Amino acid sequence: MKFLSAFFSVSVLALLSSGCTTVVIDEYRRSTGELALGDSVVILGRRHSSDYETEPDLIDCVGKTLHNPSAGVNVIPEQQFVDAMYPWFEPRTAPMHIKSLDKLMDIPDVRDRMEKYGVKYIVWIDGSTETTSSAGSIGCSIGTAGAGCFGFGTWDKESDYEASVWDFRDQELSGKISADAQGTSYMPAIVVPIPLIARVQNNACKGMAAQLQEFLLPPQSASR
Amino acid sequence: MNRLLNGFGAIRYFTLVATVSLLAACSHTVSVDGEFPAPVGSPHPLTVGVYLSDDFRQFTYSENRDDREEWNINTGRAQKNLFETVLGSMFKETVNLAQYPSNLPQGVDLVIVPEVRELQFTMPRETRVNIFEVWIKYDMHAYNQQGDSVAEWVITAYGKTPTAFLKSQEAALAQAINVALRDAGATLYTGFERVPELQAFIASKERALSMKQPGDNE
Repeated sequence: MKFLSAFFSVSVLALLSSGCTTVVIDEYRRSTGELALGDSVVILGRRHSSDYETEPDLIDCVGKTLHNPSAGVNVIPEQQFVDAMYPWFEPRTAPMHIKSLDKLMDIPDVRDRMEKYGVKYIVWIDGSTETTSSAGSIGCSIGTAGAGCFGFGTWDKESDYEASVWDFRDQELSGKISADAQGTSYMPAIVVPIPLIARVQNNACKGMAAQLQEFLLPPQSASR
Repeated sequence: MNRLLNGFGAIRYFTLVATVSLLAACSHTVSVDGEFPAPVGSPHPLTVGVYLSDDFRQFTYSENRDDREEWNINTGRAQKNLFETVLGSMFKETVNLAQYPSNLPQGVDLVIVPEVRELQFTMPRETRVNIFEVWIKYDMHAYNQQGDSVAEWVITAYGKTPTAFLKSQEAALAQAINVALRDAGATLYTGFERVPELQAFIASKERALSMKQPGDNE
């Protein structure tokens, strides 16, 4: 009985722990952050590529992590903004370059709605997380004496994202932030499979959100 | 003897049930029921009748090929919602027509009639890309008050959903279709004025309105 409880404690601990992830954040800045009280930030995923799609949950994660009204960062949720601006931010119609915003602002209703939202920055995130390699095998069997799994599996994941920060009011590119993350997950199985998952996408999201906060706020606010 | 016959009957019955169950297991039914946002922009100065036929409102794409499982995809309700919402915001006034060409109300400048020409989809195992893809093609017809054709144009729409996002094939395909329908709405809205015949029609209507206005003021 003691053995069983110890075994389950170890399993729970293993479940709570995770595989290792390394995240590298690079930044290219053309202007300092100017986010003021009442300003909003929109974080949007690029969805024009035919072979991958920037994950909506990554965009949601960056938005939720960055959203902090008490620190002066108000993020409009992606779906709410895209619906409110339909059909101008769909994969087919979304502006690909900052210069294309001019044309969009020629439509009075679009301009009014953007002003109503108080949009100062539009952040476009492009990229995806992929499983790059996997190895090992786990076999499970069931018999009269019970069931169990034995073996070992491992897989690598890589995230590669680039965020382009557009200053909507000044109609210029404020800068770019890139996040490259990679991690290896392990799954040893001794009777019960114990997943040690590397949260690659989640760590890329947190790294990018932290960097974006520093990027968007004026220098004295960001240091708070 | 009766027992033996009953036994054979039971075997036949179970075989039939098993066959039907197996066939049902290989068929997929998707019912797409999307709601779509109203477009942002200024409406064209036209009163437009919109006729969505019963075939269009209840459109179901069925496919049963040897190299694929059976699929029945109902997009009727979602595309009805889309066209009513988008066309409803595109013009000064829209009238949903229950029938066409009979009983056309007075004052309608243009009648728009969409038809589904084609729907295609691919599954991840067919393309070896982890994405469900959908293409929809609509034939669009515009008629004047007299029932003469003003313009005919085609709308093509594309939608995709990565497999990782969803729980089942049906849910993934339904989401890809909703993305394609949003794309159809975007193309309809942004492409309407680019159809030369419609561009000329709107220009002549605007000219007529601008000529009428000074007279109204006198």
